[in-house]
Amino acid sequence: MSTCTVLFFATLKDRTGTRQVTLEIPDGLTVGGLKTIIRDKFPAITTALAHALIAVNREYAIDDDPIPAEAEIALFPPVSGGSWRLYI
Amino acid sequence: MIPYPTYTFITEDPIDMNAITAQITSPTTGAVVVFTGVVRAVTSRGDPRETSYLEYEAYAPMADAKMRQVADEIRARWSEVEGIVILQRVGRLDPGTPTTVIACSAAHRDSGVFEAARYGIERLKEIVPVWKKEVGPQGQVWVEGNHLPTTE
Repeated sequence: MSTCTVLFFATLKDRTGTRQVTLEIPDGLTVGGLKTIIRDKFPAITTALAHALIAVNREYAIDDDPIPAEAEIALFPPVSGGSWRLYI
Repeated sequence: MIPYPTYTFITEDPIDMNAITAQITSPTTGAVVVFTGVVRAVTSRGDPRETSYLEYEAYAPMADAKMRQVADEIRARWSEVEGIVILQRVGRLDPGTPTTVIACSAAHRDSGVFEAARYGIERLKEIVPVWKKEVGPQGQVWVEGNHLPTTE
């Protein structure tokens, strides 16, 4: 097991009601696996997670990427190109 | 030879355009292109609406790294560009307020410096993690893009 920090921004911050959590995760976990853990912990963002972007240690990541120990994870909506509007 | 400067800023402070221009003006500079995005009070294109103010939020350390990536991409494409400033103001910003700046300098105006600044703002909106919440008479809304950066 190791820990990772998960940061939430914009809609994901509003829907989880938090900016940051620390999670215990098993070794060898992938980004996709972490999304499942987060979905279980924060059901309010189940829909938003489907098209959220994820960064691992400040670089964009995909579901197959591994999560290194003590990683800083960030979850956020597509950046503000302004093509669609999500009402809250 | 001293390399030309790249400055990136994420700040809550008002933007000083003259200071930005001065930062990337060297003895060889003859042209500076400054693009600035401004909070628009009245939008007529697309989904017409009025805006009372915007709240900008950034994932600052990653935003700074991605701004530097944008600057590197500009230099790879327009070798005559000298200095580059990329700035994002965050926090509550009222209509008429500059929010974003991309400034590029060069010896001459026909060096690609206009295109470089245009490229910079388009890339900023694609890959730099900054979001805005729009507040108006109809309520508040997070404005989101649809561009999914690739990780190649």
